[in-house]
Amino acid sequence: MRAYSVAAEEALHARNLLKDWLGERFLTTSQWRSMEQETVSDLRRTNIFLRLVLFLFAVIIVVSAAALIVTVLFSGSDRLPGGIALLVFAAACYAGAEFAISEYRLYHHGIEEALAVCSVGFLCVGVTLLADIRIAPLAGGIASLWIWHRFGLAYAFLAAMIFAAWLPGYWTTSHTAQHLIVAAIYAAGLMTVAGLRSRYRFTYLNEEYSIAEALLWLGIYLAINLQLSPVNLFDHRSISVYSTPEFPRAFYWFTWVLTWCVWPAVLWRGLRQKDHFVIAVGGTVAVLTLITNKSYLGWPRHTWDPMLLGALLAGVAVLVHRWLSQGPGGILHGFTARRLSGKDKHWMNAGSFAFGIAAPGSTPMNPQTNSSDVRFGGGESGGGGASSDF
Amino acid sequence: MSILARLEQWKALGVISAEQYTLLAGLSCGEPLSLFLELNVLLYGGILAFIGGLGWTVSTWSQQLGDVLVQAALFVIFAICFWYCFSRVAPWSPHETPSPNLIFDYVLYLGCLTWSIELAYFEMKSHLLSGQWDYYLLATACLFFCLAYRFDNRFVLSLALSSLAGWFGLTISHWPSHQDAAYRQYAILYSFLIVIVGIILQRFGFKRHFFGTYLNIAANVLFWALLSGVFQRWDYTLWLIALLALCGGSLAWGLSRRQFSFVAYAAVYGYVGISWILLRDVHDFHAVLGYFVVTGTLMVVTLVRVAHHFGRET
Repeated sequence: MRAYSVAAEEALHARNLLKDWLGERFLTTSQWRSMEQETVSDLRRTNIFLRLVLFLFAVIIVVSAAALIVTVLFSGSDRLPGGIALLVFAAACYAGAEFAISEYRLYHHGIEEALAVCSVGFLCVGVTLLADIRIAPLAGGIASLWIWHRFGLAYAFLAAMIFAAWLPGYWTTSHTAQHLIVAAIYAAGLMTVAGLRSRYRFTYLNEEYSIAEALLWLGIYLAINLQLSPVNLFDHRSISVYSTPEFPRAFYWFTWVLTWCVWPAVLWRGLRQKDHFVIAVGGTVAVLTLITNKSYLGWPRHTWDPMLLGALLAGVAVLVHRWLSQGPGGILHGFTARRLSGKDKHWMNAGSFAFGIAAPGSTPMNPQTNSSDVRFGGGESGGGGASSDF
Repeated sequence: MSILARLEQWKALGVISAEQYTLLAGLSCGEPLSLFLELNVLLYGGILAFIGGLGWTVSTWSQQLGDVLVQAALFVIFAICFWYCFSRVAPWSPHETPSPNLIFDYVLYLGCLTWSIELAYFEMKSHLLSGQWDYYLLATACLFFCLAYRFDNRFVLSLALSSLAGWFGLTISHWPSHQDAAYRQYAILYSFLIVIVGIILQRFGFKRHFFGTYLNIAANVLFWALLSGVFQRWDYTLWLIALLALCGGSLAWGLSRRQFSFVAYAAVYGYVGISWILLRDVHDFHAVLGYFVVTGTLMVVTLVRVAHHFGRET
């Protein structure tokens, strides 16, 4: 079922770990060299920048070629030939991805990813032209799920989830039912993934299932938090319970209770499984619950709310750090605040560069005054706010 | 063969010691699990939320609270942050220095952002420099540069570089609206200045690990500036030559230093610039599509060769 052999992927997994451990000096360079020779894989990888650029150009080629053929051969308004052509393109792209992997042993190399992604896109558009737009999300979801499983592309799983979220809109007009169906689909997916991943716990597939589980938890939360519903996100009046009349009152309060139940469950699961991605989603949904709680209850927001949230987040980080530091060697209950991976350092360096540039120098300020001299403007690109108009 | 089996084999062969085996086998099973990244993200998010709320509160309630109270509160936060940092910092070293603890970098970052709010509020109330924001930007950039080098903090270095960009008039929101030519010149000047400063500081051995930050920002600003020149309707030849030269330089630097972000910059910016020139007067849709198929294929073939020879791994 998988496009790559177990041995090849295990070797890549081992190679990644060795590089990580070398970065943290858990291995000497001579040890690493000796061990690395035994983790040689025939799969061809590239670094992240070339992968992105190759993906971009491969998409440009495929989409341009498809558009060229369709516009040259099928210039009429008839949907049938265009739809069939797109389905043929979808099959050709998928065959191309398989060929690139089997013949050239490409592994997350950008090109075969672009072909796989384009095959899903062509399939959806082709099905829409030939049959019914309602079938497109179903076809796209199944194809994305297959590509995730076959090629191990985490974003294909996310695409499958997005396709799944579209489905109920074609089945019912009730917003309540739509939320419930999406949550039920994700919950079924979560149970399946949770059941499957235990057998891959310490293998190269663990990360893949971990990301899938984390995405499903996030999907369930987003489906049940009505304040994050697209209906409310685009409705600026949605600051009280009375602004969501499309939801029955009992359902509304049931989801509020659920939002407070989900984040501890996700965090608990992440900590029990020692799973970075699930822990990250647990933290994210906890923050989202705090942010949306006042909207749920219809309470007014205050300007100092973000300050309290910020103080809480920083306080939690400091407390957890101190608590973990009390353990022998800085380890308590199998957790540590120490850096144990070269990847973490890399992410921190990249993040501090990117977020430092993007940080707000000052926030947009709208004073509650008629005084013309109190006119704060937003800071620009960092700049300490001093670039703003006053 | 799983990683655990491999580790056992390496231990049996004497490649790694028994202690290393215990450590690495544990790590491969998530034992212990490092929460380092999660705690850093929490701290960063916390500081940003706090600063956002602080700015919002100050702007909304400044009249009710009064200038003295607002300025005093901002000064207290600023003073506590800097007292904390100066009291715990290790002696200065030109080399990379690890932070004394987890929160140190974020306290400094909070102090710098609070300083920005305080400065803005002060000028708004006192009009000391009569709205001459350039001077504030330059002073802020200088202060942040000093702090970044004193405390070895990349967050603050990025703030300093963006403040300096602001001083040069590189406010992104104004970029597309007017005065393209003036902004382009400032952008080029800014890029050259920070590259030269970066090179000098690196040559003197001051925080060599910051050099990548200077180069990445300078390369992107310079590429954007040259591309905006290429997009002009007239007098674009020199800009195109300059863009091609920069692409060549970026490619050579990226390949020789194995920094593939520069290879990617050269490929993408160069392709956009040349395509713009070649397609600007082409109105045949099929010809445009054909161009993308042919040139895209050429780019992929070239990049695959580059990837094969140089960029197999990160």
